Amino acid sequence: MIRVDDLRKEYDGFVAVEDSSFEVDAGEVFGVVGPNGAGKTTTLKMLAGLVEPTSGDAEIAGTPAGSLDMRRNLGFLPEESPLYEEMTAHSYLEFFADLYDVPGDVARDRISDSLDRLDLDHRERRIGDMSKGMKRKVAIARSLVNDPDVLIYDEPASGLDPLTTNYIIDFTRELADAGKTIVFSAHNLYHVESICDRIIVMNQGDIIARGSLDEIRDKHGRTAYHVYTDVPVRDAAPEDDDRYHVVVDDMTAVERVREEANADGGRVVDIQTEDPSLEDIFLDIAEESVEAAREDEAERPAREVET
Amino acid sequence: MKLRKTLRIARWEVTKSAGTLDKTTVVFAALVLLVGGVAGGAVVSEVALDEGIYRVGVDESSPYHDVVQENEQLVAGSPDGELGEDISMRVRNGQFEAAETRKGSAAYAEFRTAVRVYNDRRYDDLFASGTVNRTAAFPVVVVLEYADRNTQDFSGAGGGRTDDGTVDGDGGSTDDGGGDGSGGVDDGTGGVGGGDDVRAPAVGGGGGGGTQMSGAPGQLSPPFPFQSLVLAFLFIVPMNFVVQAYGSTIINERVNRRGELMLVAPVTRGDIIAGKTLPYFAGLMAVCSAIAYVVGGSALALAAVLPIALLFLAATFVGGMFARSFKELTFVTIAVSVFLTAYVFVPAIFSDITPIALISPLTLVVRDLRDVPVSVLEYAYSTGPFYLSSLVLFATGASVYREEDMFTQKRLPAKALDSISTFVWNKRTVAGVSVAMLPFVFVAELLVLALVFPLPERFALPVLLTSIVVVEEIAKSVGIYAGFTHDRFRDTLGAAVGVGVASGVGFFVAEKGMLVVQVVGMGQYEYGQAAFSTLPSGLSPLVAVGLLFMPLGLHVVTATISALGARRSRTAYAMAFTVAVLVHLAYNVSVLAVRSGVLDGV
Repeated sequence: MIRVDDLRKEYDGFVAVEDSSFEVDAGEVFGVVGPNGAGKTTTLKMLAGLVEPTSGDAEIAGTPAGSLDMRRNLGFLPEESPLYEEMTAHSYLEFFADLYDVPGDVARDRISDSLDRLDLDHRERRIGDMSKGMKRKVAIARSLVNDPDVLIYDEPASGLDPLTTNYIIDFTRELADAGKTIVFSAHNLYHVESICDRIIVMNQGDIIARGSLDEIRDKHGRTAYHVYTDVPVRDAAPEDDDRYHVVVDDMTAVERVREEANADGGRVVDIQTEDPSLEDIFLDIAEESVEAAREDEAERPAREVET
Repeated sequence: MKLRKTLRIARWEVTKSAGTLDKTTVVFAALVLLVGGVAGGAVVSEVALDEGIYRVGVDESSPYHDVVQENEQLVAGSPDGELGEDISMRVRNGQFEAAETRKGSAAYAEFRTAVRVYNDRRYDDLFASGTVNRTAAFPVVVVLEYADRNTQDFSGAGGGRTDDGTVDGDGGSTDDGGGDGSGGVDDGTGGVGGGDDVRAPAVGGGGGGGTQMSGAPGQLSPPFPFQSLVLAFLFIVPMNFVVQAYGSTIINERVNRRGELMLVAPVTRGDIIAGKTLPYFAGLMAVCSAIAYVVGGSALALAAVLPIALLFLAATFVGGMFARSFKELTFVTIAVSVFLTAYVFVPAIFSDITPIALISPLTLVVRDLRDVPVSVLEYAYSTGPFYLSSLVLFATGASVYREEDMFTQKRLPAKALDSISTFVWNKRTVAGVSVAMLPFVFVAELLVLALVFPLPERFALPVLLTSIVVVEEIAKSVGIYAGFTHDRFRDTLGAAVGVGVASGVGFFVAEKGMLVVQVVGMGQYEYGQAAFSTLPSGLSPLVAVGLLFMPLGLHVVTATISALGARRSRTAYAMAFTVAVLVHLAYNVSVLAVRSGVLDGV
């Protein structure tokens, strides 16, 4: 459904996105994660046709990014909700439905349905008088007025209270269940983990990891082993139930703990494994990436001197 | 662009803007309209502000007394009053005497007009009543051909002394009195014998003692077409208000990224810009139509006002796209209002007396209100720069109507360079930018011309030449500089020379477009020749061709000099630009000197 080839964006010599390539299948929920300044938003805006790539191509459903045909089939939700605050929610949505050539009666039904599903009351209230959460719901409803096949949501729950955040995440999940293709970016990796089929991890404009969560976990994640002993061993912390708890990251270390406990006349009483969260993996990858960049930076002057 | 989308956005713009108007604003706008209407009505209802401004000492028994009585600007007084104090001119025993002041000269000129009008009206009455047989009165058919006035024509009121016409009660002479000044005017409208007709005196020679006058306002005196000017100005008033609202709506799209979602909707930026502009343009034209209806303007007045409205909106659009805040926008819109109002209004003051007035479309409005015909060429000349400038300005603003530019906070010059750089990609586009600069060069040069017009020649010519050179060098080099600052060209000597040559050639081609000024006679003025390098008549073909193509070399050289600096840095560009200006200036002075010598030979 979405194809991105060597997408690159430079601003006055600064590379915001470096030759990114990925594909998103129809009906898939695709996550884009990374720290601030990683290039997530720029990538999404290039996909939406808002930002012109310096080089590379992107297309959605066979139409080039930015083309009018592509825009008709796209619902875009930017990180902020830049709404026309002097309009009412209903008139605002009707206006955009008209721009998307949605017939009047269809638009009315669709707008009403979206607002019902988003539990948005006060439809005739000025947008400027609405709370931040309500404005976000209006923005989401706007992304649905044309009933697009593809949705690009940039931080849909950013800055909202937990209740509204959960509501929006659940709603996004509903949209995914309804068969929409969704490209989704969020700082809260729990949300990404809970709804995304596949993700890319970006840092400093590069894609530094990609795949399904399991694939990324296998490749970049480390399983934690929680080892419980009945005697104190090195680095172990006492538990309430007279046991001692130590976390190690491989079976060799587990064996070492067992040997230490046995040497003190004790034993390992329990071992539990814990898969890493996306957040852990992300932090690991990001740290590795930053470290690699630092080394690269440190090496650069030396090379220049050599030449 | 799709009309339906444009209209939908326009409708939305109206709804949205209406929602932001509070009662205070509505009341204020209504008050402004009311005041404007009353002012216009006052003028229309002939509450003439110049009524009775000249007091003429004339005895009640004099045939000229009725002449004075019939003219609004003249008022009769005692012929014994002190000249220059109690009265501006005196009629006694068929002799005319005017105060040796500007007002005295102006009073005298108006008096002459009054005599002519009086005679015409009187004969019309006599013919209509059958008292006088037209054929018997005019056995000879006289065909009058009016020739364009040259600069000498304007010297009449320049402090020249009055001449004594005589009352010719029985003659059939068409001589309307002898002017003894070297610049005397015989307008062929002298009195026709018969009864108690009055005979108009000629306006005397100019104070220049026979030297050619420039026709500058400093050497001219009223009367100006005061009433028509005031009425024409009414068309400009609403524009100054509308641009404030228009500028606000444009910058509103940029604040907090509000316009972002429109950019991702299936509409082009052309749809958006046209849709947002249409209500303001339509509103302006509706108001102007109403004004035209009230003051008696025709479709010509509206056709003349249209490009002015477009340019007001286009300049404001660019301001709205470049300004970083509402505060900055306020400065921009006020600057636009003041500049354009001055540009269209000041030249129109001289609509009666000089072709320079035609640089303002408002002159066409003044002419329309006075039932003076306007040719298609004059319309094209007067409005062409406005249409072209509007087009280029809208294109300039539209070039940054995109996500990457419209939400960034850059200083105005940086925004302008960003905008220009979107048009610059190679040598051909550099030449294109130089061509697109033509309307602005034209407008700027005409404005400078109008501004220096009243100055003494020894000041006017240097100021004019320098200003024009600076304007032209900016036009040629700004595209090059924008290209280098945005890495459009390789940073090599060859690239700099290449784009310099391209820009010079492009500008040369565009500059030849200015030859249109020849068509409407601007080239007859010394200042006009200096400004537009028009070719004087009487040159040999070889010299003419040489003069025509020498500028090509000049523009290529100076654009290349600027390009060599532009590829380095801003400071280097500034220095190279200064050198280019000096080279250009030296060239212009040399050409003027040479041409002057050639003409002396001719």
